[in-house]
Parts: sequence; C-alpha cells; structure tokens
Amino acid sequence: MSAPAPVTEVSLYLAHAKVYPREVTGRFARLRTASVWVLLGIFYLLPWINWGERQAVLFDLPARKFFILGLVFWPQDFIFLTWLLIIAALSLFFFTAVGGRLWCGYACPQTVWTESFLWMERVTEGNRSARQKLDRGPWTAQKLARKSAKQFLWISAGLWTGFTFVGFFTPIRTLAAEVQLLTLGPWETFWVLFYGFATYGNAGYLREQVCKYMCPYARFQSAMFDKDTLVITYDTERGEPRGSRPRGTDPRARGLGDCIDCTLCVQVCPTGIDIRQGLQIECIACAACVDVCDTVMDKMGSPRGLIRYTTEHAVHHKATHVIRPRVLIYGALLAALMVGFVVAVAMRSPVSLDVIRDRNSLYQLTGNGKVDNVYTIRILNKTEHPQRFVLEAQGATELEVLSAVHEYAVPSGAVYSVAVRVRRAAYEPLGAETITLVLHSLDDPRVLTTTKARFLAPAR
Amino acid sequence: MSTPPPVEVQRFARIAGVVLWSAFLAAALATMLCFAFIDPLALGRGEPPSWWVSRPQVYAVGFFFFWFVGIVAAVLAWYLALGSRPPR
Repeated sequence: MSAPAPVTEVSLYLAHAKVYPREVTGRFARLRTASVWVLLGIFYLLPWINWGERQAVLFDLPARKFFILGLVFWPQDFIFLTWLLIIAALSLFFFTAVGGRLWCGYACPQTVWTESFLWMERVTEGNRSARQKLDRGPWTAQKLARKSAKQFLWISAGLWTGFTFVGFFTPIRTLAAEVQLLTLGPWETFWVLFYGFATYGNAGYLREQVCKYMCPYARFQSAMFDKDTLVITYDTERGEPRGSRPRGTDPRARGLGDCIDCTLCVQVCPTGIDIRQGLQIECIACAACVDVCDTVMDKMGSPRGLIRYTTEHAVHHKATHVIRPRVLIYGALLAALMVGFVVAVAMRSPVSLDVIRDRNSLYQLTGNGKVDNVYTIRILNKTEHPQRFVLEAQGATELEVLSAVHEYAVPSGAVYSVAVRVRRAAYEPLGAETITLVLHSLDDPRVLTTTKARFLAPAR
Repeated sequence: MSTPPPVEVQRFARIAGVVLWSAFLAAALATMLCFAFIDPLALGRGEPPSWWVSRPQVYAVGFFFFWFVGIVAAVLAWYLALGSRPPR
C-alpha cells in the first residue's frame, strides 16, 4: 500500500507533522518552570514524607483506606471523594471562565511532564534546529549516541514516575525495598511498567496530540469562555500588515504593522499553530509566543504585547468585566462546596455503627414478662487508636442491653461484629417502638455515635 | 521512517486510539465507583474463590473487565454511527 492516497481522502486525517518546539525564555516561561518544579517536586517527594508512623499520603487500596496527613478515609467516606472531584471540576470551570486555559498552560500533568521531557531532549539532542538536523540526517555514531542518551533519560524518568505513582498506593519504602531485593510482586511490577510507559509515551511522543485528540477538557473548555475571558491573542490591528524591515525604522512610515513576520511565535508553539490566525482550539495558553514576541519587540524597539494575555472585549476596545454572572455563579457554588467540604470533614463521625435486626425471630418473650429483640451490631473504628466501646439503648421506658461482653475492644481501623440482646418490659409501652442505640468510647468521650433501630413487641 | 503510513493505517490508528482511550476513561471511573462500594473480599463470604488472592488483583481484573466492556461499547457506537449507507 505505497500508492499515494487521493488528496480528498487525506484532508480529514492530515498526516501528523512532528513539532519541534523552540526553547523560550521570559516571564511566562519562568512561571511555568517554577510550576514544573513545584508540582513535580510535590509528586516525587510526597510519598516519602511520613506522618507519625506511616506514610503521610497513602491511598491504601489493598486495605481499603486512604491516609491524608492526619485523616483516615474509609469506603464509607466515599462521598468525600466525590465531593472533592466536584470541587475540582468546578474550580476548573471557574478558572477557565476567568483566566482561560491556565490549567493547560501551567498545571496539567501533560504539560508538566512534556516540559521536563523536552528539557531532557534538549540536553541530549540540542536545540530546535540541531534536533531537526539530527532527525533529517543519516544514522551516524553521534546520532546513535545522542538518541540513546535521550532514551536512557526518558526511560529512567518514566520508570521513576511509574514507581512513584505506585508508591501512592502501596507504601513506597516497602516498594523500594522490594525493588532492591527484586521481590516486587507481579501486579506492582505491572503497574510500575504501565505508568512508566504511559509517561514515556505521553510526554515523549504524543505530547500535543494528547491535548488535540485525547483530552476531553480541551474539547469543551471553550464552552466556559466568553468575551471577558483571558486569552492569548495576537493584536491584529497593531501587527498587520506584517513584514520584515530593518531595525530602527518606523514601520508606519513603510505602511507596516509591528509584526516583523519572524515566525518565532510559530516555532516556539508546542502545538505547532500560528497564533496570528486568531484563537484556536489547539492553543493551550502556554504563553510561549508571548514571551518570544516580547523579546523580539524589545529588540525592535517596539512596545511589548503584540501577542499578549487579553480579552476579546479589550481587543475590540471595550471594557472587560471580571465580575460577571458566570464568574459569580461558579464562584459562589465553589465557595459553598469548599466550605461544606471542610465542615463535613471536620464533623465526620470517627466511629460508625450499623445495626441489623436478627432475621430469625421478631421478638422473644422471656418468662418474667419481658421481651427481647436481638440485633447484630457492626462497629467500625475510624480513629487512629484502639477504643473500648459500650452500647446503651434508649427508648420510651428503660431498656437493658445484654451481650456476651460488656466492652467491645476495637483496634484502629477494624470492624467489630457482635450480637446484642435488648430487653424491656413486654407491654410498656404497648407494641413496637423506635429506639436509639448510643455507642460511645470509654477512652475518648468525643468518639460517639447514635443510630435508630426498630424494637418489636407484642401488642397484647 | 520518513514516509508517513498509508491513510487507511492512519485512520485505523486514529479510531483505535479514540476507542481505547474513551473506554479507558470510562473503565477508570467504573472501577473507582464499583470498588468504592464493593469490597472484593466481602463477596467471597469468607471463602474467596481460588482464582483471586488479594484485593489489588480483583481491582485489576475489574479494571480490565470494564475496559473490555467499554471498548465493546465504543466500537459499537462507532460502527453504528457510520450508518448503513454512505451519506449523501
């Protein structure tokens, strides 16, 4: 199948041309570098930080509990994770409405890892033109050496990333020891390789294609945009007509705009677009073109900002409104959810109590005019310490709790099941009632919970 | 290396990528939701079947199962969306 395909058929599936982003320095490049250091620093170091006896942040899937600093989350706390994801989504909406694709340009893992992989590429293969030349040229010993060095760095970085990632789910120190002793289990090995390969492929090869073809956010982010959203824009009015000119000449006298058509903005673009054609879906708002154009404008003696962060309204000489209904609604929802989240986490009950009625009998009458109901109770101790619990029952009249042991000793994080018998006089009050079961810890008075249960009795 | 692959291969790669990726995202979500509510060890009622040994294994098997189901759905969606006759 080497025959050239007809042009009409190719048009929809344009052959992907490799993008060689040119290195860039400037305000926003420094901001992104700082962001890369902070975010990757957090990612790679966090699993190594301990909180008391254990890893500070550990999503312990085998044990079904999540540790985040001093907090322990159980499957029963799943609502908090959902809540957190909703907060994350809403903050994305909020920041997109205000600042455009800030996430894409500075914080997205795809951007952060691509940036670091690009750095490794630059160290081993040289700058943009050197890389292009190297790729065009024949396979020489030097090319082989440079490509091997790059692969070595990329594969090492990928494996280290995979290892760190798994370290968020399995205690990382144990994992490190297992790697050293070559006793890593099959699943850990698989996931280390899987995430290592994903990092290598996404940051090394796919790069901007992830943003263009794979990322759902990139597709729908424009729905959050309006004419007051911060976007990176080429000032057509000021720049056109573009054209080259000797340094120090007045472009207006030659009938030219400020754009000297040096195409540096195209060369630095990680997604390979020309920002001068207007806002495009591929633009991840990394501001590389802003930085490079500013250096060119400085050299030409023109004011900065031919390409800049601005809004559609500002470009058209209208007032920009930072505060507008969209921002207020997103902001209010976000604030409410965040406050609610903090309050809910703070008020989270440190113990949970499930009460299940005995299915075999409704009630049992004892010889001395009393009635018994049997329940199975399940206690989950969500605190970090062992607790001794006692159970009380409260109803319309006095209730007695009978069980094999008086105190239930529950280790931290454990579930304790026990059958209990609740006894009261058969006919006071008449028939069934709803009772309250109170569970409290003898070791810590704050550890307490209540739950309702149905108490059945004969109605005479 | 320098000649791009034929257009059929590119188109297939593009569709395969979309199918695998969308199914992957759905499988990640499904796995998280499913195992947040279901403890694999509780399913065995204390007598786990011999083919599963630990929770992570069940999570992984669950993930690949959801991925497979997602791929089936995505391929079907793509296939049915093509329509039965070429668009006019």
